[in-house]
Amino acid sequence: MRFRELLRTSTFRLSVLYGLVFTVGAIALLGLVYLQSAVYLTRRVDRILAAEAASLAAAPPAQLSRRIDEAISLGDARNNLIGLFAPGPAHIAGNLLRLPPTLQPDGPPIEIPPSPTFAASARLIARKLPDGDVLAVGRDVNQLREMRTIIASALLGSGLVIILVGIACGVALSLGPLRRLQALRAACEDIAAGDLTRRMPVSGRDDELDMFAGTVNHMMGEVERLLVEVKASTDTIAHDLRTPLTRARAQLHRLRQTPADAGEVARVIAELDTVLERFRAIMRISELETRERRAGFSRVGLAGVLSEIVELYEPLAEAGGVKLSRLGDGDAVVEADAKLLFEAVSNLVDNAIKFCGEGGEVSLRLAGDGAHPQIVVQDNGPGIPAVEKSAVLQRFYRGERDRATPGSGLGLSIASAILRLHRFELELRDANPGLAAVVTCRVSR
Amino acid sequence: MTRILVIEDDAETAQEIAACLMASGFEPEHRADGPGGLDAALAEPFDAITLDRMLPGCDGLEVLKALRDAGLDVPVLMVSALSDVDDRVTGLRAGGDDYLVKPFAPTELVARLEVILRRRRHPATPEVVLKVADLELDLLKHEARRDGRRIDLLPMEFKLLEFMMRNAGQTLSRRMIFESVWEYYFDPGTNLIDVHVGRLRRKIDVGDVQPLFRTERGVGYTFRAL
Repeated sequence: MRFRELLRTSTFRLSVLYGLVFTVGAIALLGLVYLQSAVYLTRRVDRILAAEAASLAAAPPAQLSRRIDEAISLGDARNNLIGLFAPGPAHIAGNLLRLPPTLQPDGPPIEIPPSPTFAASARLIARKLPDGDVLAVGRDVNQLREMRTIIASALLGSGLVIILVGIACGVALSLGPLRRLQALRAACEDIAAGDLTRRMPVSGRDDELDMFAGTVNHMMGEVERLLVEVKASTDTIAHDLRTPLTRARAQLHRLRQTPADAGEVARVIAELDTVLERFRAIMRISELETRERRAGFSRVGLAGVLSEIVELYEPLAEAGGVKLSRLGDGDAVVEADAKLLFEAVSNLVDNAIKFCGEGGEVSLRLAGDGAHPQIVVQDNGPGIPAVEKSAVLQRFYRGERDRATPGSGLGLSIASAILRLHRFELELRDANPGLAAVVTCRVSR
Repeated sequence: MTRILVIEDDAETAQEIAACLMASGFEPEHRADGPGGLDAALAEPFDAITLDRMLPGCDGLEVLKALRDAGLDVPVLMVSALSDVDDRVTGLRAGGDDYLVKPFAPTELVARLEVILRRRRHPATPEVVLKVADLELDLLKHEARRDGRRIDLLPMEFKLLEFMMRNAGQTLSRRMIFESVWEYYFDPGTNLIDVHVGRLRRKIDVGDVQPLFRTERGVGYTFRAL
């Protein structure tokens, strides 16, 4: 695994970014702590200095020198720095021997570095006394300074540590996903090379990579299923067309040897018409399957569709000695392509009439609930053998019973393709006796 | 003589169409590709054109658009292997007069050509009462009378009769009837239309009268002209 590849991974980038953000946050936090505490301590020193200066200045001038010495010895000598200066300035009393030139009487506090007489840094203020002398009062502020240094180095150190840890974590965290991605890529390459049974590795952690791998695996399952189905339908078509074509060929062969007989020629033509009709149905199915979903969809009242179908098929049923009726009432509205839905249900009704035979009964009714209305086409014919029930709905499947009847025999396949386009479900149930074709619709919100 | 331009790339199919057209008294002219067909249509006057939707290296729709852009309003029958409603709509919207799905019987093509030719020559007039022989159909009162005798019709039967009377004298295929009367474009199967026509026929041609319906074997029906 190359390092550059690692640097490009999103996990690595995210970890580093996270480290940077964390560093900035830590610096801000420490900075705030530092500022708050430094300001507080400085103010405290300033208040003490002001109080001390005030108390000394209030003393009678004659006692001032003694009071200064007392103040110095009262506190820790290393802590207090006091000086009294005559204009000049000339040192009168105290352990501050020289008045710093930047120190303005009654001005802002200043800080001075350590000197031979006072070993620490000090913060100083000066007051002008009524007699013209200047009183300077100071305190050791080394603690304050040390604290500042500690905080500053903490800032620097922690920043560095966070960045280093961030990079290390980035590398460590990226290695895993990168390895998994490479496994995914290897699987993809295998699939692209033609191994359709190959699936993406899933770690079982249910993370985003697993989610992705799961989606791809689902897709591959569909692709594999479709390919198997296409293969199966190609076989079915080949089988289905070979029979009438072989028959036509045999008939033509006979015609070549014997003088032409109009009846024989008509039979060949009929045979070929069957082939053409079947082709037409096959094309219709593939058109339906490639059709853009929901183009031409609108709100369709099912009751209207059923009535129209009964009206269209009632004469046909009657001619075949079948009683066709619409049971119940009520209506449901679904999103559908009205013409296609009509065609699908027509095919179901046509099939039912065809197969229940003279004396049979076919009924149409609405069932189901508000969210899933159902169209039920029920007959009392011989039904379909259980083994064929799922097969008849497949693409291009012609049931055994279809082989003896005229037409493409693909009516159910067409109905099934139309309903798939709608995402409606078609189910064939035993009606004891007979068969019930149940279309379960969805009501879009 | 009615001249028909047949634009069809398959020689065998074209020959069969031509033979069938000749047998029906038309004068066919064949072109095997789009540009050739377009040139012929622009160079000579034709009474109608049959145009295959899928020609080698060219979409029949393009030919149709070029024809209409050139200002030719000759009736065009589109012929296509694509049966979806969307394809039909595109074909008709591009200026086609009718749309026939392959495979088809040549007689069906001839029947459709005759209907669109007639429609061009005699546009539907806003008649209130249609008359064929002694049969009258009052479109306002929704009444049918034969020789003065009133005939009760269901709404669909009325629509079917109106269609047949408007196209009296024309051979109408089952599919043409299904498409025009019910406005559905799928294959209704042979019997479905037959039983509807049969029911209507039993109401119209009752007793000892001149029959108005004639069955055209293998094609459909003709409603007797005057």
